[in-house]
Amino acid sequence: MIRLIRRADVTAIHSLISIAVAAVLTLVISTIVLFLTAKAPVDALMQLLTYPYQGGTVIVQWSKALNMAAYLGVIGLGLSICYRANVWNIGAEGQFAMGGIGAFGTWLLLGSPTAWWAIPCLIMGGAFAGLLWASIPALLKTQANTNELLTSLMLVYVAAQTLFFVSNGPWQAPVRYSPSQTVFLPESVQLNAIIPGVPTFHMGLPIALGLFVVIALLVLYTPFGYRLKVTETTPRAARFAGYSPRVTVWAVFLLSGAMAGAMGAIYLMGDIGYVTEESNFLRGFGFSAIVVAFLGRLHPVGILLAALLLGYVAGGASWIQANLREDDSIAGFIEVIALMSTLASALFLQYRVQWRGFATQPQENR
Amino acid sequence: MEWAYLVLTLVSVLNFATPLLLAATGELVVEKSGVLNLGVEGMMIVGAMTAYFVGAHIDLEICTVPHFSGVGCLVGTSSIPMERFAIVVLTGGLAGMALSFLFALLVLGFRSNQVATGLGLTLLGLTLTNALGSGSGDLKVGRVDTLLGTQASDWGIWGPLLNMNPMVWLTIILCLTVGWVLTHTRLGLIIRAVGENHDSAHTLGLPVQWVRLGAIVFGGLCAGMAGAYISMIQIGAPLWKEGITAGAGWLALALILFATWRAERVVLGALIFGFTLALELRLQTLAGLPSWFVPWLLPSLPYLIPIIVLTLISLDARVIRRNAPASLGKLFEPIS
Repeated sequence: MIRLIRRADVTAIHSLISIAVAAVLTLVISTIVLFLTAKAPVDALMQLLTYPYQGGTVIVQWSKALNMAAYLGVIGLGLSICYRANVWNIGAEGQFAMGGIGAFGTWLLLGSPTAWWAIPCLIMGGAFAGLLWASIPALLKTQANTNELLTSLMLVYVAAQTLFFVSNGPWQAPVRYSPSQTVFLPESVQLNAIIPGVPTFHMGLPIALGLFVVIALLVLYTPFGYRLKVTETTPRAARFAGYSPRVTVWAVFLLSGAMAGAMGAIYLMGDIGYVTEESNFLRGFGFSAIVVAFLGRLHPVGILLAALLLGYVAGGASWIQANLREDDSIAGFIEVIALMSTLASALFLQYRVQWRGFATQPQENR
Repeated sequence: MEWAYLVLTLVSVLNFATPLLLAATGELVVEKSGVLNLGVEGMMIVGAMTAYFVGAHIDLEICTVPHFSGVGCLVGTSSIPMERFAIVVLTGGLAGMALSFLFALLVLGFRSNQVATGLGLTLLGLTLTNALGSGSGDLKVGRVDTLLGTQASDWGIWGPLLNMNPMVWLTIILCLTVGWVLTHTRLGLIIRAVGENHDSAHTLGLPVQWVRLGAIVFGGLCAGMAGAYISMIQIGAPLWKEGITAGAGWLALALILFATWRAERVVLGALIFGFTLALELRLQTLAGLPSWFVPWLLPSLPYLIPIIVLTLISLDARVIRRNAPASLGKLFEPIS
């Protein structure tokens, strides 16, 4: 009935078609879900789509989307590097958490300074902690051939337990703070708001953007990026080219771990200010970043757009929850629907779909 | 060491091992047919939530004060009889099955990336349960009846073991049966043929896509029922909360790798993983442990020990390569 013919040449047009199919599918299914779940679906849909202009301060609303997009974009870019090399790092959430812990630990190690120079040190400390955490699955993968997908994920649970441990144990703040958290970082070590009164638009966002641009250039225009491209498209050619698979595994794990860790440090200094238990510290950036990586088809430009999209949707969902008392879980649904639609629509990128009518026997004419 | 203590430990181990074993049994068939479904965690948690809500509904008539939503019970001292519990477990399984159909549609129909789709399925399960499962705090679900009831004490120290839910024993039997079917029957041969080399299987005229659909759906059923065990049986009284499966689906996936796709070793692995989970409850009360052990290392052990065990198994790369289905996770493009 339907025959799929693999395309010999995949061009930009096919790519655009498949993206359009994914976008339409996402929009249609998300709207259906919204209509099934929301109390006032039409209102909810309108306000979700145009939430920055629905009565709140426009810049504050936009900054929420940009804030989340920064985290998702950088972590997602790091993960995309892994996935292009066929390395399945799905433990970014844990590397992010360890980044926060590492940054706070660095601050304590430095003797709790209040000077500005602590900020770059903390980011470095966070990146290093994320890198160390990611080096565990990398080590096990290269030395013992252990499945990195499962080990990196299991370490998320261990990292979450570590958050619980430090915020209730050695680093627990004195009694006047709320229980199970560390002390606040001093004001001078936090990343301050760029525009006064918009706390989510802090100095961490330009830093994240800079990091994103540097790594994107690395992926697009350097020999390392070329190596990734070869490994992604034809692993056999990568072997013949003499690219050591071990070095690739190490490189992508350490890079993505450091990126997630750096974002954990920025999150600590810009958004939350202290280390606390998993349920209050982690917001699922590490898992949403997996979606971002695939939505962006593992390409830096796509990842940037996908991160902005999910950031915007999350901002809109929290707006309709606050304003219309709708459930903000619609953001999670849209995220998953977009992922599934993108995965399904890749079919139209790779194949020509031919409708052959109802009665034909496809075996006859090949 | 007292015998009674050992028996209680065994009960605890079996209790934790059962959902892992059940989900792993389903996934074993899926992977043997050459498909990698990483959505086990998602299917499990949807099964857990569905079973809990159906469980709240199913003893409605014994309720003294029904819940205002019409589903479940606010006040009541009811219990769920065994045959009704079977329905509860099956609905959990059906919920997992529904999710697995979506996976099958994408992977078999749209030829999507199996790893990414499986991860997406897990995210979908978590999102669904977070959205639908909130506000269940005041639901009252009756305990599931036990086999012996109050007569358990007649059996002395063996009482707790014999009084366990029959799912425990049925799961072990199911896993061994599945292992036997895979190795000794025509059906098993077909499944393995599809998983080892889908092109050869296709050339032989085997319906590759249909075999895989069947396997995926069976996997969804098992994962959903495993989730139902977690929410209905595992802690004694039925409980639902967000993220209740706590990585059990991932442990089930690790279990298959540990067992190198052999059913009898899946049972063994489930007991080992169950033991690490049971350890937490057993060691918490022990005196003289360092101050970081109980709050940090002990709760991490159920995730650290599988990492160590997997590493030891993987050290010899040939063991994995010899046993892994050769077409696992690969794209099937029928020539037509």
